[in-house]
Amino acid sequence: MGQLRLLLQVAFRNLFSSKINLLIGGIIFFGTLLVVVGGALMDSMDSAMSRSIIGSVAGHIQVYSDDSKDPLALYGSMSGEPDLAALDDFSQLRPFLEKHPNVKTVVPLGTSGAIVTSGNTVDLTLSNLRALYKKRDEAGETPELRESIDSVKGHVRQMVNLMADQTAKSEQELGGAQKDPAEVEALARARTDAFWDAFEEAPYSALELLENRIAPQIPDGDMLELRYAGTDLDAFQRTFDRMEIVDGQPVPTGQRGMLLSKFFYEEFLKMKSALRLDHIKQERDLNQKTIATDPDLQRWVKENQTQTREIIFQLDPVKTRKMVERLQKLLGSQEPALDKLLTQFFTTDDANFDTRYAQFYSELAPLLELYRLRMGDVLTITAFTRTGYMQSVNVKVYGTYQFKGLEKSAMAGALSLMDLMSFRDLYGYLTADKKAELAEIQKQSGVEALSRDEAEEALFGEASDNELVAEATSSDVDDQAAFIGDQGALTRENLLQRVYTQQEIEQGVALSAAVMLKDPELLEQTMVELRQAAKDAGLKLRVVSWQEAAGIIGQFVLLGKLVLYFAVFIIFVVALVIINNAMMMATMQRVREVGTMRAIGAQRSFILGMVLVETLVLGLVFGSAGSLVGSGIMALLNSAGIPAGNEALYFFFSGPRLFPTLSASNLVAAFVIVLGVSAISTLYPAFLATRVSPLQAMQTDE
Amino acid sequence: MNPTASQSSIVSITNVTKDYTLGKVVVPALRGVDLEVHAGEFISIAGPSGSGKTTLLNLIGCVDTATGGVVRVAGQDTKQLTERQLTNLRLNTIGFIFQSFNLVQVLSVFQNVEFPLLLQRKLDKAQRRERVMQLLEQVGLASHAKHRPNELSGGQRQRVAVARALVTRPQLVLADEPTANLDSVTGQNIIDLMKELNQKEGTTFIFSTHDAKVMSHANAVVRLADGNFLDRISAAEASRAMAAGGH
Repeated sequence: MGQLRLLLQVAFRNLFSSKINLLIGGIIFFGTLLVVVGGALMDSMDSAMSRSIIGSVAGHIQVYSDDSKDPLALYGSMSGEPDLAALDDFSQLRPFLEKHPNVKTVVPLGTSGAIVTSGNTVDLTLSNLRALYKKRDEAGETPELRESIDSVKGHVRQMVNLMADQTAKSEQELGGAQKDPAEVEALARARTDAFWDAFEEAPYSALELLENRIAPQIPDGDMLELRYAGTDLDAFQRTFDRMEIVDGQPVPTGQRGMLLSKFFYEEFLKMKSALRLDHIKQERDLNQKTIATDPDLQRWVKENQTQTREIIFQLDPVKTRKMVERLQKLLGSQEPALDKLLTQFFTTDDANFDTRYAQFYSELAPLLELYRLRMGDVLTITAFTRTGYMQSVNVKVYGTYQFKGLEKSAMAGALSLMDLMSFRDLYGYLTADKKAELAEIQKQSGVEALSRDEAEEALFGEASDNELVAEATSSDVDDQAAFIGDQGALTRENLLQRVYTQQEIEQGVALSAAVMLKDPELLEQTMVELRQAAKDAGLKLRVVSWQEAAGIIGQFVLLGKLVLYFAVFIIFVVALVIINNAMMMATMQRVREVGTMRAIGAQRSFILGMVLVETLVLGLVFGSAGSLVGSGIMALLNSAGIPAGNEALYFFFSGPRLFPTLSASNLVAAFVIVLGVSAISTLYPAFLATRVSPLQAMQTDE
Repeated sequence: MNPTASQSSIVSITNVTKDYTLGKVVVPALRGVDLEVHAGEFISIAGPSGSGKTTLLNLIGCVDTATGGVVRVAGQDTKQLTERQLTNLRLNTIGFIFQSFNLVQVLSVFQNVEFPLLLQRKLDKAQRRERVMQLLEQVGLASHAKHRPNELSGGQRQRVAVARALVTRPQLVLADEPTANLDSVTGQNIIDLMKELNQKEGTTFIFSTHDAKVMSHANAVVRLADGNFLDRISAAEASRAMAAGGH
């Protein structure tokens, strides 16, 4: 008791007696600080990201077919979409999963990607014009209709003129580049007054020239990659309660339809000039960047100045006039040319940006279509089915949605949502509609439907004749008919109006099931139990956690943690070496003191205890200081929040700011590591100290 | 004091040799020394530098072992003892006074003196306190109990060291040049103090010195030269020999 008190006293009094101790203390201090702050940040980010993943699409657990070639990757993987086997009948899977007492809800899911074309302005305007003529043919001409036709015609003519001017200009610059003479000729013809004078006599042939010869010359239509998840939209909304509709309305229960991700809608379907203004505003407001200093902002301003065609093309002569008037007023200019006015308008700096931004949306935007797609438009999605052929499906876009807190995240906004029926069509699986239609076609063509087993038997079975092969050969033409027929069926308007029952939605293919749990703490246990239950029931299912299901994203956090732990490890290995050396020096400095103690009668164990207690005290004092300062920092961060500087971080922060929390386990981990490291690094110096001979005490100062 | 104990031999050295190895060269420090010290004696070991004074004291103090011969301390052959046992022998039987005082800087005067008692674990807190204060009274530093060594003068520090050496009531106190780092008056005081304790407590003292004045207090002076035992003479003889220009 007395000895221990003495040792502690010696240790405390030695604490600040040498610079070496301060060095060691400093290392321990910063080490603890790093473990506490870094660990807490990582943990907080981990849980924030898990909230993002769990709350947006994954749920706690994902269940998918064990026949899948690739592991599930909800956010896509390096090699594109994973190759998953389908769950044939979701309506049977759901009750199976819901039997588990910890399962709250089960949502069918299927993610995939497709290319959609956003269409160029000329195409859209021409199809608009064609529709007006069609309407005239059907319903007869009215003054209003004539006015509309003339307006659009004027718009088209203006576009043609613009195009011709630009072609001439670029030819001058590039020095007569190779161009299709037919295209040049067509453009020249479309510019003539004669062409427009004769337009009314044969509007359709004139339109044809414009559509086939002129429109393709404008390459401003974007091919967009759209990732989507087919799901039971109502169940999805109920399960992922961070989801909210931003524009438009939810897809009516049971109907086919699509909800675009708000992020996708803004980033890819909004007019570029407006998008750039939004970006500049956001960078200025949120990240305190300035146009004067930031190259990105300068680039956007420059692009807005030069790329005005997108705006000009949208405007018919009437709107062009209005736009010129408004711009002249806003800029106090007499300039008659719209492109020059726009360039001047978009010449923004830090002083006038906010005014111009407000003016753009209040004065100019009402004359423009800000988005290439409006709510209620039908989007044609073309995708490769599993079997490799192209499939197109028309889906009505009802609205846009976002996840609360993840509005800015590209990751959370990566997926647009679609009803399961359209998804199944695109994925190449038979919906009931298609099955019925196919049956009809088969009846017509006389092809027999064979199951796979039967097919194999028919092909290879000894007992059977060569029947199937013969049938298949003879049905070549029918295949073609079936293909056309089913395309037609899928694009028919009535499919978009049809209301499906819950049973129809669920009876069919899904790629995975998102499972939300009642008690997320029991995640691991529930997974084990579900796996066992699937095995017992003879279902070939894979049950994975949200982290695995997130694919590459889940691995990011793991990677982040690995990097942190590796950094901590390196720091502590370095600390170990430094502390070890420093303790050796400290021991050497105290050789006489130790020798004296040994001479007076201290056993080696006493010396060992002394050195260890000193290190422990050192570790505890500086470790506590580090933990205290770390806790202080975390408390500050917790109340202020860490802003997500760039958009990618929104996902990892589960919102615009991360409010990290410090858990007791972070502190415990810090203490265990610090004390462990200091104890280990002291073992050898302590051993050396025990070897100090009492003879050392006899040496004199001289 | 037990009269028979005072007559018994506390240190008995027989034909002891000690060699040091410096690289490949073997340097003999003691070349066969015999010495008997009886309980209660106050003995000075004299001799020029390099004569083996310190080596002899180290062997007696069990902090070093002899190359040849037998060293018996308190009846025990030190060669037969383990490291642990030697440490215990030092703790319980021998007190040390060092030339450079060797106090633990971070401990107070009181704690420095108490230190060996804590190692012994024989006395409880009150008993230790009583013993330490009694010793500090004897060396005249009771009022400095709470001071740190660096707040004391050299003489005061050596008195603390004396108190520390005696606090366990050892049979034998060894002092290697205890006055070398002190001025002559202070050195004189320390020797007076040691002599006083020797007479009062009957503690055996063996100290090395080459100061004739210090030597004159001893009952006997053991003279060494080149690692050899020269003679054992009285203090008066030693003084005369020194005065005569010998060692």
